[in-house]
Amino acid sequence: MITIFALLALPLLASALAAWKRSARLGQRVTLLAGVAHLAASLYCLVTRDNPFPAGSWLAVDPLGAFFLTILSHTFVLVTLYAPGFLQRMEGPGYDRSKRLFYPALNFYLLANTLVLVVQQFALLWVAMELTTFSLVPLMYFYRTKESLEAVWKYLFLVSVGLVFLFVGILFLGLSARGVVDYTAFIVGRMTEAAPHLNPLWLKASFLFVLVGLSAKIGLAPMHPGDIDATSNSPAPVAALMAGSLRSTAVAVLLRFYQVVAQTEVRPFAQRMLIFAGLFSLAVAAIYMWRSRNYKRLLAYSSVEHLGITALGVGIGGVALLGAFLHLLFNSLGKVSLFFMAGNIHCAYGTRKIEPITGLTRRLPWSGFVWALAFFYIVGTPPFGIFFSELFVLKGMIHGAHWLPLALFLALLMVIFIGMSRAVLRMLQAPSAAPQPEGGAIERFHLSHALGLYAMAVSVPLALFQPAALFDTLRVILAAFGVKL
Amino acid sequence: MINALTILFCLTLIYLAVTTRLSAYVLILVLQGALVAGVHMMAFFSDFEWSHVAVAGGVLLVRTALIPAYIAKIIRDLDMGRGDSTRRYHPGFLVQMAAVVMGSFLVSHQLSRLTAVNIVPLGAAIAGILGGGLLIVRRRLLLAHVVAFLIIENGLFLLGIGVQAEMPWTIELAGLLDLFVLVFLMGIAMNQLRTHFPEGKGDDLTALRE
Repeated sequence: MITIFALLALPLLASALAAWKRSARLGQRVTLLAGVAHLAASLYCLVTRDNPFPAGSWLAVDPLGAFFLTILSHTFVLVTLYAPGFLQRMEGPGYDRSKRLFYPALNFYLLANTLVLVVQQFALLWVAMELTTFSLVPLMYFYRTKESLEAVWKYLFLVSVGLVFLFVGILFLGLSARGVVDYTAFIVGRMTEAAPHLNPLWLKASFLFVLVGLSAKIGLAPMHPGDIDATSNSPAPVAALMAGSLRSTAVAVLLRFYQVVAQTEVRPFAQRMLIFAGLFSLAVAAIYMWRSRNYKRLLAYSSVEHLGITALGVGIGGVALLGAFLHLLFNSLGKVSLFFMAGNIHCAYGTRKIEPITGLTRRLPWSGFVWALAFFYIVGTPPFGIFFSELFVLKGMIHGAHWLPLALFLALLMVIFIGMSRAVLRMLQAPSAAPQPEGGAIERFHLSHALGLYAMAVSVPLALFQPAALFDTLRVILAAFGVKL
Repeated sequence: MINALTILFCLTLIYLAVTTRLSAYVLILVLQGALVAGVHMMAFFSDFEWSHVAVAGGVLLVRTALIPAYIAKIIRDLDMGRGDSTRRYHPGFLVQMAAVVMGSFLVSHQLSRLTAVNIVPLGAAIAGILGGGLLIVRRRLLLAHVVAFLIIENGLFLLGIGVQAEMPWTIELAGLLDLFVLVFLMGIAMNQLRTHFPEGKGDDLTALRE
């Protein structure tokens, strides 16, 4: 009961309280409380694999849900700790309304994403997915500029069209189950049990629509533009939330469908689709990361890249599926760190363009240091977690003799590495043409740096020591997809 | 009766292709809302339950009254005038829409060979979804895009009936609520957009291009 309260009731209460009281300090406190309680409940479910909801209901925390809930709440807590410093820097009456809406919307975001992860009924899942979109709108529109408005509009529109595709996919899933199971219930577990008897043709159509529809939310090419605009024009904490948790939540929904498909003869078709989506996203990211002149867009395209790797890992299967799960977790940690530093850089330089930013290590020594470290993290340098998760994906491709995807994967990673390092190293090292602003104090170490460093550091023991609490649950999750390690 | 209502739904799509008047867009939304509510009631008439009445009532309230009234309010508030000035009437659009409607019925007929479906509602549903998509491509006014999205949603509702996939009524109502909130948010965004982009055209949204 306490777990359910922490997962669902507390974010709702925190949202209501923050909206009612309109005090930034109270808002921050209740949000942090809700986030920490949510994290504790998620970790409890992850470690014990206990389902706090009554059996047979439309809500449940299965191991898959617990894993994604942990990613969600961990990102949420980090963002809640970073947010006060960010809000303090946003001075002026123009931000008053955005600040008032910030904490209520943040808690509503947590609630909406939690609903997506605990709902076991496919149609209700669709409703919850819509809620996540609504929860983001006030957060994305924080700056109230022409650009942020355009980003909100495009995101709303593209994601909504994507969700139409998702709904068609759900209807086709129902069609595939006609005469086999009472498909009006649409429960994940029951559909999975009946999976071998589902009509393969409708199931194929269903998966195709679901993949295309969710791509807008996950940020897979070619449905990624709305997500890129939204991430790059949102304030740093919101961008960190989107890159660190929202995309993972959307992947969890895709995996719910894949869980059904994986038990059927349609599995090879779905795998091919996922491999194609993954490689195509990597290719798009590679091209645009070379062309990008905006460092937040660069990070947004980096998300396209890493979600592409995740899709690739899921498509390859076997040990690569384990790699995909770990990759989601480690990408979430790295993106939090990168977007926090991007927020610091934006605040100091007042621009998101790469070109005017030079001498970062001198002007912002701590942010520059964490930014550099986060760059090495995200491109997959050991001993950081992403190196190991990419290694698992690579291993899966070698085991499965997927030579062409392997060659493309390595080539595209190299192009991305060069493209990203061009921009990042220039920002860090290029001599500054403009003089240092007068009176500009040397940047001190503050909480955002500690959070960034923590997010990266935590991936190292997770990858190297593979704690049983996490990896046992991951083995259970993989077994649901027919993978035994 | 269901067939007659869904054919009327297709006729609204044809009307959509020949009009550029904003008031006609609102009228089409009202008509389509009433038609899909009628189709829903008829589809489940033999298996009467109060939940069907609740869903049909919800559809009538949201799709026929609330959303069109809200769209009409936006048109008034933003002083958008009578017509979609971004595009003149062009017979090519009519031909394309007619082709979409006919093609949709052919697809529906082919699908009926694979599984048990209601051919006419399914054809109308596909036509609604594709027709809405076509409207997004052909019209540049942002309001027209919102209307197109709502037409796609109407098509989606018919699709559920076409493939005989009855959802639990609570989910149908939750979906309607979602739709209303979405349109509400789009309306707010459009209101704000008007201050930055006075013509309200999709083409104006280029600030984020690199």
